[in-house]
Amino acid sequence: MRPGDAIRGLTRDERTAFARGKAVFDSAFTPHTGLGPLFNADGCGECHEAPAAGGHGDEVEVHATAFRGGVCDPLIQEGGPVIQQHTTPALKQALGIDQEPFPPSATARAMRTSPAIFGRGLLDLVPDSAILAYADLEDRNHDGVRGRPNRFVDGRIGRFGRKAFVPRLREFNAGAFVAEMGITNPDQPTEETIGGKPIPAGVDSTADPEIDREALDRADDFVRFLAAPTPAKLGKDGRRGRDLFSQIGCATCHIPTLRTGDSPVPALHRREFAAYTDLLLHDMGPDLADICLGRAAPADFRTEPLLDLRDAEHFLHDGRAATPEQAIELHGGEAAGARDRFKALTPAERAALITFLKSL
Amino acid sequence: MHLTTRTAALAVSAIAPLIVSAPAPAPAPAPAPTPVSVHRGAQPAGSYTYRGTVQAVNALTGSFDLIIGVGMSLRLVHISTSPTTLLAASGASLRLAGLKPGDVVRADCRNTPTGLVASRIERVEVPRP
Repeated sequence: MRPGDAIRGLTRDERTAFARGKAVFDSAFTPHTGLGPLFNADGCGECHEAPAAGGHGDEVEVHATAFRGGVCDPLIQEGGPVIQQHTTPALKQALGIDQEPFPPSATARAMRTSPAIFGRGLLDLVPDSAILAYADLEDRNHDGVRGRPNRFVDGRIGRFGRKAFVPRLREFNAGAFVAEMGITNPDQPTEETIGGKPIPAGVDSTADPEIDREALDRADDFVRFLAAPTPAKLGKDGRRGRDLFSQIGCATCHIPTLRTGDSPVPALHRREFAAYTDLLLHDMGPDLADICLGRAAPADFRTEPLLDLRDAEHFLHDGRAATPEQAIELHGGEAAGARDRFKALTPAERAALITFLKSL
Repeated sequence: MHLTTRTAALAVSAIAPLIVSAPAPAPAPAPAPTPVSVHRGAQPAGSYTYRGTVQAVNALTGSFDLIIGVGMSLRLVHISTSPTTLLAASGASLRLAGLKPGDVVRADCRNTPTGLVASRIERVEVPRP
């Protein structure tokens, strides 16, 4: 499967849904069709674009929350954790702002790149029990790695987002329409506030919800059916790198293979797939720490699924690493052991491991 | 970066409103309350059904704050109770002080000049592995 392909084994109707969903995903919205008044992008495909729809993006957005006394406040009353970087002309005219005001109560700011979203329909179906089976809060095996799940505000286990805050793909997609594009929809029919204040009268005249359930369903179908790209065939070096990936402990968190649970879609039902994640939070050390979210402390991040790494041009949650080597060397906290073992490899071994990563 | 091959803007026509009631006034400075998880049946004008997670309870004022929304798009609504508000959990009656942050509730509300007032609140059991 190439980046942007649908998963194998879809029915004709599901392939049709995928194609129709791609049209929604690729759409560019305007204020007339619901965009804004606050937004980061005018369409899903503006950020998730390379090398194909659903792929990586070069945009970096801003998030903010407050972490006080060990409790995370997503700053809902100040406009929520996503700080939109653009405004429609009408909002700019009304308030004279080019972006959402940074929340005054925030204790931290985070930069977030746009990840490839291939294989997310598979990750959505990994059972809670499988995620919990990898958790090791007490570090019982004494490997220094203590994975734990994040949970949404209602207690459900999270999977999506760099902090694994959002439990289900549908929720992430519906929320992203509003938080990223200002497109209200049946699952979230209210606009973002302007730093917690209501939208001025006359600024957003498009009736809510700004897309209907069919459009939301289609976009969700497209994302859900995006395949995880097939890793490239490995040569001798790549195979050696794959072995090293496990031997030095990368695979402790970047679990190579996960299995989906039950699904009404046969192509997604009980499928093994290359995931390279445990969907758990890990303390990555103070140098990477930024915002809290849910039960994720500032230094906690979800193990990033290593899908379509070959097409990535920047690495880590904020894009600070230009190469996979830099990304590994910036791992800290629970990943410090694996990082140090990577650094202790010979140059040839390190090159082999990178060859493997670039096959993903 | 924009894709040059992106399709033309999606023409989104006016969509049938999700609810039949009129929008509620904004209880400043909080955002205008709008139902997220609404009961699909016909509702009287000014009636809303919310499903969300309790953020805070103020038993003295007889009110609570509810987090609603999806994904990274969350909202907060402030809901008051009245002497006639019915509270229940698993079929048994409940006092407002019995609600705790993190509880998931379904609240049937009506809009009033002073804000949202719940006519019925039911604590929903959510499996939490």
